[in-house]
Amino acid sequence: MSVAAHGETIAAVSNYIFPNDFHVHWSLMIVLYPYITGLVAGAFIVSSLYHVFHIKSLKPVARFSLLFALAFLICATWPLLNHLGHPERAMSMMLTPNPTSAMAGFGYIYSAYFIVLLLEIIFIFRPVSVALGQKATGGLKTLYSVLAIGSDNVSAKALKLDHKIIGFLAAIGIPMACFLHGYVGFIFGGIKANPLWATPLMPLIFLLSACVSGIAGIIVAYILLRKLSGKDIDVDCVQTLIKFLWGFFILDFTFEMLELFSHFYMANHHWHTLEALYSGPLYNTFWVAQVGIFSVIPFVFLMFMSLIRFKDGLLLFFAPVISVMILIQVLLMRWNVVVGGQLMSKSERGATTFHPMWLEKEGILPAIIIMVAPVVILWLIGKVLPFWMDDKGAEAA
Amino acid sequence: MEKKYKSAYYSHVVKIALILIIAGGLGVWARGLFLPDTMGQYGHYRGSDLEDQRNVELRNHTNESCYECHRPIRLIHKAGVHKTVSCEVCHGPYADHIKDDKYVAKMPVKRDMEIKALCLRCHNKIIRARPEESIKVVAMPQHLEEKKVDVGHNCNQCHMVHDPLLWVKAAYEMMGMEMKGDKK
Amino acid sequence: MKENIDIVDIKKEIQKDRRAFIKNVLSGTIAGSLLMVIPAGAALDQRLPEQLPGMRGDDSPFTEKKFAFIVDVTACIGCGSCCVADKNEYNVPDGNYRTWVERYIIDDHDEVFVDSPNGGLDGYTKARTDIPHAVRDTFFVPKLCNMCEKPSCVQVCPVGATYKTEDGFILIDKSRCVGCGYCIQACPYSVRFLNPVSRTAEKCTWCYHRVRKGLLPACVNVCPVHARKFGDLNDKNSEVYKILREPHVISVLKPGMGNQPALHYLGLRREVV
Repeated sequence: MSVAAHGETIAAVSNYIFPNDFHVHWSLMIVLYPYITGLVAGAFIVSSLYHVFHIKSLKPVARFSLLFALAFLICATWPLLNHLGHPERAMSMMLTPNPTSAMAGFGYIYSAYFIVLLLEIIFIFRPVSVALGQKATGGLKTLYSVLAIGSDNVSAKALKLDHKIIGFLAAIGIPMACFLHGYVGFIFGGIKANPLWATPLMPLIFLLSACVSGIAGIIVAYILLRKLSGKDIDVDCVQTLIKFLWGFFILDFTFEMLELFSHFYMANHHWHTLEALYSGPLYNTFWVAQVGIFSVIPFVFLMFMSLIRFKDGLLLFFAPVISVMILIQVLLMRWNVVVGGQLMSKSERGATTFHPMWLEKEGILPAIIIMVAPVVILWLIGKVLPFWMDDKGAEAA
Repeated sequence: MEKKYKSAYYSHVVKIALILIIAGGLGVWARGLFLPDTMGQYGHYRGSDLEDQRNVELRNHTNESCYECHRPIRLIHKAGVHKTVSCEVCHGPYADHIKDDKYVAKMPVKRDMEIKALCLRCHNKIIRARPEESIKVVAMPQHLEEKKVDVGHNCNQCHMVHDPLLWVKAAYEMMGMEMKGDKK
Repeated sequence: MKENIDIVDIKKEIQKDRRAFIKNVLSGTIAGSLLMVIPAGAALDQRLPEQLPGMRGDDSPFTEKKFAFIVDVTACIGCGSCCVADKNEYNVPDGNYRTWVERYIIDDHDEVFVDSPNGGLDGYTKARTDIPHAVRDTFFVPKLCNMCEKPSCVQVCPVGATYKTEDGFILIDKSRCVGCGYCIQACPYSVRFLNPVSRTAEKCTWCYHRVRKGLLPACVNVCPVHARKFGDLNDKNSEVYKILREPHVISVLKPGMGNQPALHYLGLRREVV
């Protein structure tokens, strides 16, 4: 370590950690929470690209994206509830939301978004629900009747009304999805005490990485589910998704690097702590994994896949592989922001360590359960509502 | 030809609107039901918490509380150089000893080398940053060698813990000598 | 008069056999003869000394006072009495600290070495042996809640469980805290922790319950060298008022955060974060 020049004595690092800073309070659960809401926001945007912006080639995944978003949105609160010291008091967030708290809005924003997504799904699938309900019996019939809101009217007049409402919901859904996720970024970006978090770029980075993860999630799920059920894959749709993925990832990766570069270039008194963090405890997870492997490689591949028309087989091989890499990149980004930000003690003189355990309350196993749950929920949803337009009952639309 | 439907073409929209209104109404009602009574009395918090905060148990008292009973010590302690030292820091909090004006448990007593450890918390010279004007610091075992006593001695063999100079002063007096730095 | 007699008695006792005397005092037998009968009559809080004037009998929700806390860095001897008293007052679970004492060592190459083993709770008993150069300067810095004028913790609490009273105390409603930990992230001074027993956020309160009874905060009460000072800035005769008015070297921690702490440091060095 170089000797600190006079006037820079504060910068001398002696690895002193404030006694209350050894423990990382926000761990795996808080890594998963923005990851899950990001997948939701991104998937919704895919659906909106078709429903609002009329990107026709995305039609095959437009409906599935909504169901995908719903499955993950149902689980978005789980990591939070598992994290809270008093989950039984969680409703206080809605009972007495503190107007000055960035976190207090979560209850209302989440609920509003949930309602919009649910209504969008109900309206889009209403003709399907009516058609399937007529064939179904018993409990399933009741379920379809509930999903059709007790109406059997699928006349042209009714569908025209539905169509208007769908357009409206999709349109307000976009700003809401952006708001939901930009807001999650602000929960971190608004904490001035943490130099790694406190940046106005944080909501933007969160939002862009949300879009990226959502699109990547849809690509993986689409190709995987179609392959597994032996159905055709719409290559044009995949190609369009890849182009959008590249577009969002250009912005996402640029802002991530820009944020770091600004800190480095302006080099205010926080930089020495950030520098110590990025060259120390975060070196492997940030530089090697997030940037080196899971950003640069997908970036190059996405560029080629967008600019050069790959052979179908090649595209359908690389698209899911690169998408999985992107999904890992976003998860690493969440980890590096959430956990990384807390490694640095507010003493500005040292960093603590964090190693997740398998079986603790907020450990690896609960994290895996929470990430598997949306997949199970999606599978259950698939039992009721058809994912694809060529599924049985879907032609009613 | 238009097929006949049981429901009107707008019926589901009306139903959804009604469901949303009822759910919203239920939410407002539930909020009123669960809102703490004194929420917002003084600000965005439960006003009655101020009362709860005032009723937090007093566990440390002051030296005066100890002196109420321990009168001989009071006179020694209050007159000596240790008068600013808190009884409870060495002996434990008052509330572990007396509850509701009744004796509940014996205070743990520090013995032998525990006493030395307590003394050195403050008087150890190797820990610098202890201004000499406010505290006398000594190095061990140099202090014992300097005073020509056995290096195995414990602090309280010469220094009465409640007034460390009480016996030392008495010894000087008996010898008809003046203590170094003693202004009195 | 009675005290004079007592003194004579004690002197006699000591002369008789000082070892037996101290043994008796320590084991409580001499005092014990008196202490089984605890002075009855006045309520306990009336018998306690009134360390802060004008607090007794004030049942209003907020006092008219403007409290300030001053830590004299030049006076602290790092004994950790404050930490002991604090842990006892609140039964703070091990590994969490409502207050702590840091040791700063600056060598003649201007390198700064800071430590706070167990928050200073066990005192500083060993000299640091890992300082490569001659030591230029060394001092202790006690830390506690800054009671900010603009508290980040209150700003971010999603449910209004942590709040600022009109007389400047930042308190936590244990019965409403959801344990999300947002306030812990937001506090620039890391004075907050999640109590593993109650699973709610906790921090120093400047001993609100003691202050409202006219007592000094536990740490101030036990400080043997008066390095911790507490008082009312509206009282022009108070020590804190005089110190803050006079031309001393006074600063707050992390002034750039804009939190405007009511905790001031006398003789604070720039190395302190």
